Amino acid sequence: MKVYLGIDVGSVTTKVVALSSDGQVLSSVYLRTEGKPVQMVQQSLSEIRQRLQGVPIAGVGTTGSARYLAGVMVGADVVKNEITAQAIASLHYVPDVKTIIEIGGQDSKIIILRDGIAVDFGMNTVCAAGTGSFLDHQADRLNMRIEDFGEIALESNNPVRIAGRCTVFAESDMVHKQQLGYPLEDIVYGLCQALVRNYLNNVGLGKELLSPIVFQGGVAFNKGIVRAFEEGLGIKTIIPPHHEVMGAIGTAFLAEEETSQNGNVTKFRGFEVTEAKYATSSFECKGCPNQCEIAQISLDGKVLARWGGRCDRWERVD
Amino acid sequence: MVKVGIPRALLYYEYYPMWRAFFDALGAELVVSESTTKDVAASGVARVTAETCFPVKIFMGHVISLIGKCDFIFVPAVRSMEEKVHNCSKFLGLPDMTRAVIPECPPLLEVDIDMEKKRELYSSVYALGRHFTWNPLKVRRAAKLALQSHGEYKARMVREGKTPSEVLEGKSEQRDGSSSVALVGHPYLLYDDYVNHRLISRLEGQGVIVLTPEMVSQADMKQATHELAGGSYWTYEDEVIGAGGYYIKKGVVDGVISVMAFGCGPDSVMMHILDRYARRERRPYTCLTLDEHTAEAGLATRVEAFIDMVRKRR
Repeated sequence: MKVYLGIDVGSVTTKVVALSSDGQVLSSVYLRTEGKPVQMVQQSLSEIRQRLQGVPIAGVGTTGSARYLAGVMVGADVVKNEITAQAIASLHYVPDVKTIIEIGGQDSKIIILRDGIAVDFGMNTVCAAGTGSFLDHQADRLNMRIEDFGEIALESNNPVRIAGRCTVFAESDMVHKQQLGYPLEDIVYGLCQALVRNYLNNVGLGKELLSPIVFQGGVAFNKGIVRAFEEGLGIKTIIPPHHEVMGAIGTAFLAEEETSQNGNVTKFRGFEVTEAKYATSSFECKGCPNQCEIAQISLDGKVLARWGGRCDRWERVD
Repeated sequence: MVKVGIPRALLYYEYYPMWRAFFDALGAELVVSESTTKDVAASGVARVTAETCFPVKIFMGHVISLIGKCDFIFVPAVRSMEEKVHNCSKFLGLPDMTRAVIPECPPLLEVDIDMEKKRELYSSVYALGRHFTWNPLKVRRAAKLALQSHGEYKARMVREGKTPSEVLEGKSEQRDGSSSVALVGHPYLLYDDYVNHRLISRLEGQGVIVLTPEMVSQADMKQATHELAGGSYWTYEDEVIGAGGYYIKKGVVDGVISVMAFGCGPDSVMMHILDRYARRERRPYTCLTLDEHTAEAGLATRVEAFIDMVRKRR
């Protein structure tokens, strides 16, 4: 049995899975990124290493907003965008899926599939209202753990309508509703409905949401949101078993595909990367008036990759 | 020699050869601002209220960058290019807005272009020419040469399948790849590499041939606009609905990407019309929205995912 690693480094959480060649999730890690992608990738890989106990790795894929950074760090066989990765994982668990709702930390996506092929997708445009961060902030303001949010929302009988178009307005609206004396659970479920309304009216605008609908991403943990979606759509949603690590699963599948085409050779640097001393730094390029902020990652003083330039001056690394 | 500054923004990509021919014939020297940089964008953004759009802010940045380098700055007010077709209010009031937000700028050379008022158009062009000559025949000749250059510029891009950056700035785009995408939208979004985070090179880097509105003939675009929207309401509707509709209808490309500035009223309607048409015709389509807050990572994800989808669907 071959084992593939999928690494999804998102804005809020870092996910790593070890996937067997028959599609079983052998192990998975889900951590908050906390703005430290390099450390979190190392930390989650060392957890996976302990659990796998010496099983060789046949391929690695990365995805998420830090996919290039993670890809360079571990020596990925494939670096893929989140949308493609999410769709591939979903198709594995629900082969006839027609709609994927994915809500992550700072972006939310919709993927429309027909006959197993993605035919359309959408992402939130310029603001993060309607994403996991929105709920995170509101939970913070209500002084509750985000993990308890869903349970509390389920107790609501008369949800309060909260303006959810923008996090800032939602806060003032929520404070106003609290001061009018509405019960907590009704406000909490009102927030869930606001997020769903926002999602359906922006990300899902003009798209045909047909069943089966798969709901994945970290926010699918939140039972309040699941309830709000099912009430809003009038359709049951399917929440796959490993919904929070679907991006990582998808990219592990892609790593399998990639390595099988390349004579089963992986570029994985090995679990030694968990102890390697990576250094990230940045500088301002003085080459032209753009003054791009170039970020670079190096290992033992040797630069592995650079980003952030508007031209390719710094892209070549020798 | 009198130096006339031309901001490399907004209508520059549409009309520069026309302007160059006109001012050349009147013996003026043109100073075109440099390509957009972080400083140019920042200086524009700092001056203009949030309610205008990013391209207007970029334009103001270019005007600021021309201060001290020229005697005049040419800022036309393009009101209407054909009867009953209107332009966005930001174009109508561009000279006034420029003066209001950049009081220290050199005197503006203005011209009102309004095809609904032909008689006034002539006097407006003569008034512009009078800054350089008192001889109306000389102005007339300059205007003729200007129109001729404009026609040649447009025809050349259709004939040779070239983009404005190739003709005006000597770039050369990739002509082979494993898939093709039509990129539609206003030229000030498509050809300003700062504004769109090098969108064309990004697509080409993924092995995509990029086709643009300038490669479609005026007649074909007009016809597509007519079929999709019953004719133009907005000036420059053809380069969005016309070109997008043409490429979707003909099926010569694997997908269509449209580009709009965040908060653009006319474009928000056009993008919906295109979106619906693409859906009906079952063609891959996506719309990218740009402004000063657009992060490169988000743009890259959307573009990569779109190309993946296009390749799988084919």
